Amino acid sequence: MNVKHISSTLKTLFTRLILPAAAALSISAHAAQPLKIGYSDWPGWVAWQVAIDKGWFKEAGVPVTFEWFDYSASMDAFAAGKIDAVTMTNGDALVTGAAGGKSVMVMLTDYSNGNDMIIGKPGVRSIKDLKGKKVAVEMGFVEHLLLLNGLKKAGMKESDVTLVNAKTNEMPQMLASGDVVAIGAWQPIAGQTMKSVPGARPIYTSADEPGLIYDVLAVNPASAKQRRADWIKVVKVWDRVVKYINDPKTQPDAVKIMAARVGVSPETYLPLLKGTRLLSLDEAKKIYVKGDGFKTLYGSSKIADEFNVANDVYKSPQDLDSYLDASFTNAK
Amino acid sequence: MNPNTSLSYLDQSADVKARFDRINQRETILEVRNLGKRFRSQQGEVEALRGINFSVRRREFVCVIGPSGCGKSTLIRILAGLESHTSGDVLLDGKPVKGPGQDRGMVFQGYSLFPWLTVKKNVMFGPQMNGRSHDEAERDARLWLDLVGLDKFADAYPHQLSGGMRQRVAIARALVNQPRILLMDEPFGALDAQTRAKMQSHLIDIWKNIDVTVLFITHDLDEAIYLADRILVLKAHPGEVQEVIEVPVPRPRTPAQFNSPEFRATKARLEELIHPAPEPESEDEQAVQPHLIRFTNVMDNVE
Amino acid sequence: MSLIAKLTDSETRKRALLGIGSFLLPLLVWSLVSYVPFIWHPKVEVTVPGGVDYFQVGMLVDRVQFEDEVAYAREQHLALPAGKPANPIYLPAPHEVAKAFYTGFTKPPVQKDAPWLHESLWHSIQIIFWGFLISSLIGVPLGILAGTYTTFARLSEPFIEYFRYLPAPAFGALAVAILGIYDGPKIAIIVIGTLFQQVLIIANTTRKLEATIIEAARTLGARGVKLLTKVVVPGILPDLYRDQRILLGWAWTYLIVAELIGTSSGITFYITQQARYQHFDNVYAAIMIIGIIGFGTDLILGGLGRRLFPWDRAQDRR
Ligand SMILES: Nc1ncnc2c1ncn2[C@@H]1O[C@H](COP(=O)(O)OP(=O)(O)O)[C@@H](O)[C@H]1O
Ligand SMILES: [Mg+2]
Repeated sequence: MNVKHISSTLKTLFTRLILPAAAALSISAHAAQPLKIGYSDWPGWVAWQVAIDKGWFKEAGVPVTFEWFDYSASMDAFAAGKIDAVTMTNGDALVTGAAGGKSVMVMLTDYSNGNDMIIGKPGVRSIKDLKGKKVAVEMGFVEHLLLLNGLKKAGMKESDVTLVNAKTNEMPQMLASGDVVAIGAWQPIAGQTMKSVPGARPIYTSADEPGLIYDVLAVNPASAKQRRADWIKVVKVWDRVVKYINDPKTQPDAVKIMAARVGVSPETYLPLLKGTRLLSLDEAKKIYVKGDGFKTLYGSSKIADEFNVANDVYKSPQDLDSYLDASFTNAK
Repeated sequence: MNPNTSLSYLDQSADVKARFDRINQRETILEVRNLGKRFRSQQGEVEALRGINFSVRRREFVCVIGPSGCGKSTLIRILAGLESHTSGDVLLDGKPVKGPGQDRGMVFQGYSLFPWLTVKKNVMFGPQMNGRSHDEAERDARLWLDLVGLDKFADAYPHQLSGGMRQRVAIARALVNQPRILLMDEPFGALDAQTRAKMQSHLIDIWKNIDVTVLFITHDLDEAIYLADRILVLKAHPGEVQEVIEVPVPRPRTPAQFNSPEFRATKARLEELIHPAPEPESEDEQAVQPHLIRFTNVMDNVE
Repeated sequence: MSLIAKLTDSETRKRALLGIGSFLLPLLVWSLVSYVPFIWHPKVEVTVPGGVDYFQVGMLVDRVQFEDEVAYAREQHLALPAGKPANPIYLPAPHEVAKAFYTGFTKPPVQKDAPWLHESLWHSIQIIFWGFLISSLIGVPLGILAGTYTTFARLSEPFIEYFRYLPAPAFGALAVAILGIYDGPKIAIIVIGTLFQQVLIIANTTRKLEATIIEAARTLGARGVKLLTKVVVPGILPDLYRDQRILLGWAWTYLIVAELIGTSSGITFYITQQARYQHFDNVYAAIMIIGIIGFGTDLILGGLGRRLFPWDRAQDRR
């Protein structure tokens, strides 16, 4: 119910009731209806803005509309079936799916390469320093997983630290309050934390375990099936985006577009981009294979699934095969 | 022995007696039979009225008087149909009263005009509610405003008027419906003495000129004697009729009569009825115990 | 009466001066805190990082911590850092906010097709308008009914009392599922946030109508629907209007959550986004715009009220 279009919607409704012929028209129009994709404030997803602004979807002959959301609002909208696809992490795709918003991950956009962090207060230099101390994370979310991964690598267990559950948005205040020695947060909240607690530094980041968190374009299974050809075109456009951003010649323009999307200066935005490893199609193909561990989307998703069940995010393991379909990425 | 002091309130001059005979020959407008009212409240039941019997003849002016809390307002509200009664009958022209109706007009003590309507529209309200056309209502309103002397203020809002003028509007508003009986609950209670005296004379003038019966509640003895043909004296807890007094003061009434023997005799009787021995204070009153400390120099005396 | 005649009226002038003063005083405090270094300035803005490894130019550090690091650097014979007193990032100075305010309206948005600030604002105003309108269309009649008829109040008010404590934003996902991702759910949040308070407040206002007025009307022959439309409604109208003005202000407070539901849009989304990247000058500029709009609307509505309800004396007292 867009305000501006209320009257026109009513009018349309009216004519459709009066003229059944128009209904036939609307069905044929349905086929060409734009794919509706929700995206939000994460560098790997803001990257789509380049293709939007450059008109590359039109060039590729695929009608799309991108809708800008707050991250959790975008998953709500997807779960409610109001958009055809949404950008999210592979772990969140499982969480959303378990709650009823099933999806197919048609492609990888990036993996977090340092943008997810465990940040220690001044003086805390490594994961080992956390032993016996309090650490704040948003339980069941990616930073929780990141912390467990870091603890494991350092030869420690979850029980070696005391976890404090807090909203990711509130992490800057959590660390500043001095009640905890470390927090987990992603960008830009991680940067905000370090700004507000000078001397605080990342002690473990997603760069230490590439592939811990993959970001994907998750598509409604029905749409993935019916509009397969269109989705493949979307995947192809992504490759163009990655090239444009990674090419030093065009990068400044790309960063300008992305920075404008979130309303900051390009200088502010550039460092955030560095913490995100955008994946070209060729790179993605190597990751979108069966396998264990963090090097593959299958392995990473399996770990995320186990983590989610272990932390009671949902009750029973998800059928990963229904979420994973590499054929879009591998299509010629 | 001075005949003035020995005069009883029961003694009526021949004129007055003849007048009461005439009144008693007129038809009864209002008849109240064995009326009782109990309020159920959180503190329990309160018997506000018990066994009230009286009747009012056409074009009679009856005052109801009694100590505060004796049920005067309850009585008049039952007559107006704003309150239900728990026992007995109220008959208007022989028919039982059910809810408010335009055969009874009411004037309240407090601020009862519609503040959002001009004076004229306030008066037009009744006729319009009763299905009269706008023009008819306006014509009637003008007529009645003229009668109470407020035609010049037809377009003013109530808040622009003085207290006396507001009550004039309220009277006009009640009379425009041409009720059989005009019920007035301490209508002049909030006015200053001068305005109040003026309003009393004005009310008598109106009453003389139109076919209306008046039931008037007051706690002011002078007012009751000055206005009434008969005074219904109530006592409290529960409210019961103590006595019905036929006022021996001859008509037409003038303020000069306040010192007449009949007037004084009647007032003496009323005082006797209403303030017999000092009533025991209510519990609330007893709880208030002023404790005065002297704030001034001991030499600085005012008495 | 001419405007000039009005202004020369000394009472009015005094009032206007006080009105201006009520704005100037906080501005003065804000300026003092911003420009006079020794008043607050709990932070140090690093100008020379010196030998401290994590210091960067422009970084804000607690004063104590800065002094600590200076002492440490001196001990260790490292290059000394330098800095100047500063306020925390969330308290920008008036001139910074003024500048952000100006550029917000004059500089086109960097992103292609992105809305101008005033377009975002207009979008928000529309959300508020529709949300408040829908809420009022339901809430005002319900409130009047509940205030007039005890049975109706007993039937509706307990649930409404309960429901008004439920946080409106929690219905975001549900609203999206039913109403889509655009303005529908946002309007719904405004409605949910406003409606229940509205019913209770208006019911209360209705109850406060002088009982004598209703009784007088009844003795004059008014009953049923006419009693409602010709007496109760006009009787409470000035107070109802005042309630609505206050409620309209509340509706604005729900905007900030409403605009995070569904697709992000509008002025408060702009505020959230700018706060996330710590551009507090923009945040304050936008907050001020909302303040100006809200206050301006209320002034206009107040003036309108005086014209609409010439009999209402509560207005004279202000
Ligand atoms: N609505 C009510 N509920 C309970 N008690 C009432 C109510 N109205 C009046 N009363 C009680 O009935 C008695 C008579 O009241 P009222 O008729 O107002 O007296 P008056 O008008 O003579 O001062 C008082 O004791 C009063 O407390
Ligand atoms: Mg009374």
